[in-house]
Amino acid sequence: MKFKPLMIALLASALTLGLAACSSGNNGSASSNGGKNEGSTNTNSQTNSGNQEDTSKKEVKITFQNIYPDPSDPKYKMLRTVVSNYEAEHPNVKIELDSLNTDQQKVKLKTQAASKEVPDITIVNPAAQMKPFVDAGLFAPLNEMVEKNGLKGTFQEGILDYYTFDNNLYALPDGNNIAIVYYNKKMFEEGGVKVPTTFEEMVDVVKQLKAKGIQPMAIGEKDSWTGSFLFMNILLRTNGGPGFLQDVIDGKKTFEDPAFTEAVNAFEDLVQAGAFQEGATSFDYNAGENLFKTGKAAMYFMGSWATGGIEESTANENQNVGVFKFPTVNGKGNPNEFMLAPGSAFAVSKDSKHLEETLDFLNYFLINYPKEMFNLKGAIGLAQTVDGDFKAAGYSDMAMEVLNLFKDVKGGDLAFDNTMNPGTAQAHLSSIQNLFVSKTDAGVVAKEHQTAYEENKD
Amino acid sequence: MNVLRVSGWKIAAFVLPCLIIYSLLVFVPILVSFYSGLLDWNGIGDAKFIGLKNFEKMLTNDSIFWPAVGRTLLLAGVSMGVQLPIALCVAILISRYVRKPNFLVSSYFLPVILSVVVIGQLWKTIYNPASMGGMLNQILESLGLQSWTHSWLTEPKIAIYSVIVVALWQYLGYHILIQFTGIQNIPSDIYEAAKIDGASGLKADRYITLPLIVPIFKISVVLSFIGSLQSFDLIMVMTGGGPAHATEVVASLMYNMSFLSMKYGYGSAIASFLVILCLVATIIINGLFSKLDKRYS
Repeated sequence: MKFKPLMIALLASALTLGLAACSSGNNGSASSNGGKNEGSTNTNSQTNSGNQEDTSKKEVKITFQNIYPDPSDPKYKMLRTVVSNYEAEHPNVKIELDSLNTDQQKVKLKTQAASKEVPDITIVNPAAQMKPFVDAGLFAPLNEMVEKNGLKGTFQEGILDYYTFDNNLYALPDGNNIAIVYYNKKMFEEGGVKVPTTFEEMVDVVKQLKAKGIQPMAIGEKDSWTGSFLFMNILLRTNGGPGFLQDVIDGKKTFEDPAFTEAVNAFEDLVQAGAFQEGATSFDYNAGENLFKTGKAAMYFMGSWATGGIEESTANENQNVGVFKFPTVNGKGNPNEFMLAPGSAFAVSKDSKHLEETLDFLNYFLINYPKEMFNLKGAIGLAQTVDGDFKAAGYSDMAMEVLNLFKDVKGGDLAFDNTMNPGTAQAHLSSIQNLFVSKTDAGVVAKEHQTAYEENKD
Repeated sequence: MNVLRVSGWKIAAFVLPCLIIYSLLVFVPILVSFYSGLLDWNGIGDAKFIGLKNFEKMLTNDSIFWPAVGRTLLLAGVSMGVQLPIALCVAILISRYVRKPNFLVSSYFLPVILSVVVIGQLWKTIYNPASMGGMLNQILESLGLQSWTHSWLTEPKIAIYSVIVVALWQYLGYHILIQFTGIQNIPSDIYEAAKIDGASGLKADRYITLPLIVPIFKISVVLSFIGSLQSFDLIMVMTGGGPAHATEVVASLMYNMSFLSMKYGYGSAIASFLVILCLVATIIINGLFSKLDKRYS
């Protein structure tokens, strides 16, 4: 039986690679599920491509990867309405929807990108997050397409800059959001507190609510970007304005700058005051948000994209939810500077078999997008200007408040992972997550950041 | 090999298709993975060949890697040292005292067929703080043991143990099933003969069951060890490796590096390490058991 150890060793490696092969699946083996799907879409587009000369009459299939899989999301309905309208006008075009949730889509796209099989239309995130894809030359420039039918004019000023590299526009955003604080008016009354106008007051409010047995804030810190988003807003204040991370990249500042350590200290004050629910780091995004939506927490810091969901929630019965701007920290900063969240964006594959039709469809889609969203009451935080009377269309008081905040926006910063490279961003996220579970000296946090940054810069 | 009276070529012809598929799906990815480990690559753009730098950094200059290896081995150690003996005891008890054991064994097996996501969510709810309806903490409070309550999944020192408990709970039934089957396969005449010689109960276990179950037990050990090294899904669902890497294991670190930090080459280096670890451990386990085998046969 001398073969036995060998056989068992083989078995062992087979089992291990059940896992390892998933990660290397994009190197050619189609062992993962993602790999299989990808293979089939590819075959589809190949069989339908045929000869390209008479594509106008020929059957055309466009694969549209998107992140709207949730039927309760207005975007789900919007997407299907616009697609079926387009298909009715262009009988030879078939739009195939590949709807995934955000995380799945990110992984799938990376897998597809590695084997250069990007779907005709896909979703990317702005700035630093889409840069690797652009550098790899995967996307078609949209410069000409965006001029057609006045599409460019519908976008807010400056928003397209986040998707432009070397004067080429590579993606068009589905939203433009700002970070705000939602609060539960009834719980504020019960706690006997007022809307804070400074960060110090906010910490006091937390303490008073806590003393009355009310959970002050909710957060879904298992998805560590949520805490980072809040932290970055504090940094935006202590830095006296936007651009801290850019200064670090340009070599003008380091993470050991006083503005950074001050932000860490302020953030820890908030955590140590007991602002967040127990076990916050095991709550994922939805679970955290649900605490606020079900009236179990008094405040919730989040991007304005949460407005739609909160509007419909039990916490907002009788227009009970209000919003306020993130206050100044130690008297520094301007509340009209917000954390900006230019949305995920539609990009077109450069190697699309039907580039022309795809661009035409995307143009049509984005022109109709704001109109449909307005009808579905989901037009808060779009990247495009929306015509129409929101109040008359039945938008709630809170939605109107949020819309008014948008009018005050005087610039701001992007989230950490939209500015820094992924390696540094991951180190940052786990460093901030750590502050939720153990009090750490600000100097140490700064050092962690600086080390990670230096290790990961090119 | 001439027992079958078939030529070697024919055997090769029949074995080949399977062998090809097997090597394409297993060995090629291993090799590719080793090769990617030599690259500085973000998984999308151009790759740069950097030799063994990824491995060097991983082994000497990564503050997360070795603790993750430690936690992985801890999980493996606990599951071999605690879970398997319990499974063996349960299997022996069931086969001796339960008249129709199948129902019971199936019940123990149930958690294995449940999706890990379901189990993860279930236990997350159990571990929640009492104010959020966490069952464990509520029980402790109602017993007057407030000081024993913890936020099980978020205290860095405790979190990994909380996850390990769930992993043990889930796969206990699996090992009970394997070992129970092993015990059932021991011919009953041996026990009868032993009874005549005056060996029953614990004595029979010690001198008959244990030696005869060694080969089956070895399968359990190998499976539980490799399963522990690969543990990934449960960690992902329950903690995502957090808080701040406190529950990071090798497999989750590999995922985070490859797909979140977008250091695909580095992630591949970790994957290669995992493969080697598995091979070495399997060889060691086999060595130990072949000694044990010899002693009892």
